[in-house]
Amino acid sequence: MTRLTLGCGAILRGTVVIASIASLISAPALAEPPVDLSKWSPEYVRSIAGTEEFDTAEACGKVTPLDYKGRLTFWYQGVFEGDPDLLRQYYKDFFETFRKTYPNIQLEEQALTYNDLLDKFRTALLGNAAPMAVRLQILGGTEFASKGYLEPLKPEDVGWSSEDFWPGAMKAVTWEGVTYGIPTNNETMAFIWNADIFKRAGLDPDKAPATWDDVVKYSKQIHDKLGIAGYGLVARKNAGNTPYRFMPQLWGYGGGVLDEADSNPTYGEVRLNSEASKRALQASYDMYVRDKSVPVSALTNQQADNQPLFLGGQLGMMISHPSDYNVMLDLQKKATGSDKDKAQTVIDNMRYGLIPTGPDGKRAVVFGGSNIHILKPEYVDGGKVDVPAAKAIICFWTSPEWSLKMAYAGSNPGNLNGFKTKWMKERLDNIKFLDVTTSMLPYGIPFPALPQAPEIMNIIVPDMLQNALTGAMTVDEAAEDAAKKVEDLMGGGGL
Amino acid sequence: MQGRVVVTIVTGQAEASRSPEPARSGMVRTVWEHRADYAYVLPAIVVMLVVIAYPIYYTADLSFFMTPPGLQLRDKTFVGFDNYSAILTSGVFWKVTWNTLIWTLASTIISFALGFATALALNREFIGRGVMRGILIIPWVISAVAASYIWKWIYHSDFGIIGAILVGLHLTDRPPNFIDSVGTVLPSLIVVNIWREFPFAMIMMMAGLQTVPEQLLRAAKVDGASAWQRFWHVTFPHLRNVSTVTVLLLAVANFNSFIIPWIMTGGGPSNASHIWITHIYELAFGRQRWGVASAYSVLLFFILMTLGYFYVRALSGDKKERGA
Repeated sequence: MTRLTLGCGAILRGTVVIASIASLISAPALAEPPVDLSKWSPEYVRSIAGTEEFDTAEACGKVTPLDYKGRLTFWYQGVFEGDPDLLRQYYKDFFETFRKTYPNIQLEEQALTYNDLLDKFRTALLGNAAPMAVRLQILGGTEFASKGYLEPLKPEDVGWSSEDFWPGAMKAVTWEGVTYGIPTNNETMAFIWNADIFKRAGLDPDKAPATWDDVVKYSKQIHDKLGIAGYGLVARKNAGNTPYRFMPQLWGYGGGVLDEADSNPTYGEVRLNSEASKRALQASYDMYVRDKSVPVSALTNQQADNQPLFLGGQLGMMISHPSDYNVMLDLQKKATGSDKDKAQTVIDNMRYGLIPTGPDGKRAVVFGGSNIHILKPEYVDGGKVDVPAAKAIICFWTSPEWSLKMAYAGSNPGNLNGFKTKWMKERLDNIKFLDVTTSMLPYGIPFPALPQAPEIMNIIVPDMLQNALTGAMTVDEAAEDAAKKVEDLMGGGGL
Repeated sequence: MQGRVVVTIVTGQAEASRSPEPARSGMVRTVWEHRADYAYVLPAIVVMLVVIAYPIYYTADLSFFMTPPGLQLRDKTFVGFDNYSAILTSGVFWKVTWNTLIWTLASTIISFALGFATALALNREFIGRGVMRGILIIPWVISAVAASYIWKWIYHSDFGIIGAILVGLHLTDRPPNFIDSVGTVLPSLIVVNIWREFPFAMIMMMAGLQTVPEQLLRAAKVDGASAWQRFWHVTFPHLRNVSTVTVLLLAVANFNSFIIPWIMTGGGPSNASHIWITHIYELAFGRQRWGVASAYSVLLFFILMTLGYFYVRALSGDKKERGA
């Protein structure tokens, strides 16, 4: 019985992996991608790194002449408090290099944090005061494309090919068959744990929990034995960190908001109140309410608050980017006295692994990232868009070089050619644990490509978590309430 | 100066005798007589119409339309009073309204009482009074955004200062849960709001206390009035108007509060700290329900106008009392 179950589990796992890869690489226009996605593995990524040279200025000069004179207003989702200093430097370098390459383009850029960008951008659009170009989180593209704010824009318009980008990411910038943007970076997170805490709690220090049920058990064991938080749950509303951490759990248990985890989603069925979804929510409830094994501040905090807890040796496990390793190094530099040594112990014991599976062996992670878009002139401050200038910066950012550098520490290049650059080779040597997130990419599931997705992910899902975790509703009621809200939303109404 | 006034009156009378005006109602006649005054304030009125009246009109207009998140604002559809009925039948509305009432009443009453008590204490002569006054005013001059972040860390459920002190003193095993619990979040935020607002009440009441005639207090003392009797029968009546104005200003400010609850909790957890303004913001900018958010705003506008009416009345009463 056990063997049969294991055998079925293995088959299912294999099927799920193949289906996930197929979903990410399946696109009608998939002619000849620059990298062979069917061979995707850390070894394959290492084998192609540093095999091609790219000259960004030359490539973009063909799109917009380097002596072009113009003016560009540009908003972008920039670095925030949880990002490493290394990434800040790359952002500085990018704008300096762009200005040197296009000295006659007057660039007025504005950085906004992930959690503020959508609200501010929506407000600007209402007042016809939007920038000419914008880099948005992956969640936002469909919303603004469906409302008609964006100009059609495909990789070919800036000198690249659609096959140069992850097909799953291209779906996120496509609305009713038209492409409205270009992916700049794509990412999948990984599971991080502190081996020393595992050891002290009587767990195998070198093994990540295999399933989400194990996460619940490990979290309790860590808390009971050491009196610290086990798993870094995040359930703040209107914060990108929440869906990025809960959706892998929801999908792992076999649930979903809609059918977005299926290989060919139709978004026609609400599944937040399915038994599988409720089991996922119950797991969070068990950790927060029953076992009290996660940070109490999970309801008002985000991942940036888990980072110091982890560095202080007060948190056993969390989901995050490989960049968290660099963040820990940055934070450790700021520590003083004995705290510095304590932080070093944590860094030495930092381990990365695959995100756990659900009870049926399903492993999933959010296929995240960002896209870059050009606005229609009627919504732009001044009523004019300098298209050549916009294309110049878009070509630059989505080039193999800069899409890699701007995702250096924590993400992956949107342009697949980035994996072939010398900077990728250098990155593989410098950024620890990159292999793990590379390995997670095939398990990536994009958010539903719907205009309602931001509200679902940023408000309804966190609300569901908060309703269950605060005891305002039971797990069942919270799931049913959230499902009803999604149904109402999809039907065009609801408060 | 007097001569010029006389000339104006004489000219007006002369004009009136030359061309008899048709009979005008009292108000129109008053306006006509003060037409020069109105001409002077016309530019200000135009600016106010553009920046205040038009947004009010637009908000009221928008409150009758549905604006689903998948549509642009210009694609809105007319739904009559549906937004209002949706609001009034929604459970969240009553929860948020209850939160707003608690927030406003508790913040206003306690801030005023604390500010008044502090003003009375500081009205006495003692060494270090100036320094104390300066220290107490600090919460009011600190940026609300900065204060919210500081308090968020003070309250932090895992590594907040209060929790660390209480655990360090072995008064509790775990840090208290201030802002991650539906039961404690609103009172915790109200404490922050009071901390920020009471210096305002203190300043207002200190200014009011300067107007209480010293000789009356001395006379009452000579007549054998106790401290409480002097306060209740002499001091307080003199402060009635400034108290009313202070309470009304605090109430309006609290109804309109946004920064503290939004930064510290975003209205959570589970809507337990959502008040009207934060809820309106989330509806509009987070969920793009512009129509519903506008309907909420219209309702809030009427409530604030009512408070504004009493504020103006209190001010006019004050003027009348002073014989202005």
